[in-house]
Amino acid sequence: MTTRSRVLGAFGLILLAAFILLPFVQVVQLSVQSTLGTPEAPLGTYTMMNYRNIFASDALVSSLVNSVTYVTLNVALTLLVALPAAYGISRYHIPGRRLFFITLLAFRVTPPVVLSLPVFILFSKLNLINTPVGIALVHCVFNVPIAIWILESFISAVPREYDESAKLDGYSTSRFFIKFLIPAIAPGIGVTMFFCFVFSWVEVVFARTLTVTDGKPITMAISNLFGFQTDVGLVMAMTVFSLLPGLVMIYFVRHHIARGFVVRG
Amino acid sequence: MGNLGQRRPWLLLMPALAILMVVGIIPLGIVFYYSFYDIFTLQARSWVGGQWYSALLSSSRFYDSLLRSLGFSTLIMCIQFPLGIFIALMIPRGGVVRTGTLVLLALPLVVPWNMIPMVWLSLVDADRGLIGMAIAASGWDFDYKFNALHTWALIAVMDTWHWVGLVAILSYSGLASISPSQYQAAAIDQASRWQVFRWVELPAMRGVLLMALLLRFMDSFMIYTEAFGINAGGPGAATSFLSLDLGEEMRGFDYGPASARSIVYFAITACVVWAFLRVSAREEVPRR
Repeated sequence: MTTRSRVLGAFGLILLAAFILLPFVQVVQLSVQSTLGTPEAPLGTYTMMNYRNIFASDALVSSLVNSVTYVTLNVALTLLVALPAAYGISRYHIPGRRLFFITLLAFRVTPPVVLSLPVFILFSKLNLINTPVGIALVHCVFNVPIAIWILESFISAVPREYDESAKLDGYSTSRFFIKFLIPAIAPGIGVTMFFCFVFSWVEVVFARTLTVTDGKPITMAISNLFGFQTDVGLVMAMTVFSLLPGLVMIYFVRHHIARGFVVRG
Repeated sequence: MGNLGQRRPWLLLMPALAILMVVGIIPLGIVFYYSFYDIFTLQARSWVGGQWYSALLSSSRFYDSLLRSLGFSTLIMCIQFPLGIFIALMIPRGGVVRTGTLVLLALPLVVPWNMIPMVWLSLVDADRGLIGMAIAASGWDFDYKFNALHTWALIAVMDTWHWVGLVAILSYSGLASISPSQYQAAAIDQASRWQVFRWVELPAMRGVLLMALLLRFMDSFMIYTEAFGINAGGPGAATSFLSLDLGEEMRGFDYGPASARSIVYFAITACVVWAFLRVSAREEVPRR
């Protein structure tokens, strides 16, 4: 690489960093400011007041707990059903696999608004409204397809001989999964967990529709802060909290983010 | 359990299918059923046949929204794909800069979708926003509330910020699959930078790019939370995209028309996916 292209490359990356980070700078900056103005903290002074206010509000704290609960449940459920499916697709010629793919993709890209009403009706009958279980379940509609896609490409990178030797040693399918397959594709499990976690965490339409009176997610708790006189600083402090779990997840998978997106026919 | 996979491999797909049944296929069936009814309450409804469908498909508003959504998808794909591929090409293949850039690109993905318009609105706020203050200082008359062009620009920039990282990450994962020997072969052939891109890098990215294309097209075509948060479809109807119309009917409790609209949208979605799979299968290099 020439010096000139190196300098240009570095300049480009700095521009990119500025573009991506600017909104985050704004959020953090407003979160440590008094944006309504109180006697102790006049408008515009820097203060940790907003963060203290979060913990003074039961609704805000419980929304954090609710979100973490359904997202964790969703990731567990998604992995549980996607792992066997990804393995099956990777290793066997399954009749109807093309139809299976079309169904998966179609539901991944179906807008949540389209499904929110019937899911609400169905889940009311099943008593799944206002519970984290309901949201965890419905988020599978877009996470299971993503998980199968990522896991399948990681599993396909494991040689078949690996399964066969385990089976010759007399391992059952479930023991084989736990003792051999999962450790062999650990980075793939990590990447899958990251994307499922993120897509469930950021989703709004289902999470709002399915929580009428109770179990509100963090996204709704923040929306509910808007009113006649909105405390922007508090909103931003809550937004900072809403970013933390995602940042932790990114840190764990930082070396593997760009792996596992091989597309097969 | 035994060696279940070998005897009945399709059983491995069953748990995933069962979940999709409950959260996808059955709800879709319910919508389909309701789309033929006028719904006062879910208990009191009357059969109207295809009335909602013919009303929707003969309303000019539907086609206007369809065109707007198509225009929006086209616009953001024309920005995000060249930009995302360009970013992917800039990322070094190893080291701290590589990891750092990939982490940077993933950052906007973890922001809850209803926070995104809120954050961008505070960025362009003329009193406190970092961009808004700069715009005010420059004297530019930026007005995202009443100037349709400015609303579109704001949504497009916001969407690019949100999603260009995904395009870049996917492109990069394609590039990372190229072995050094392929580059060496190209260098021996004295291939130009453009030829390397066209004949080595682009084919390696083909699969992931097609997938990114489907995801970006559909997600922008049906954009809801972010676009609604900026200007609720306005000014006038300048940014009322397909999903915003549906959201409006839902909020107005027009469940019959909303159901018919949902089915039409799902049909569009299914057609796009089908076309996408046809295209990707046709150009597929035979496997094994």
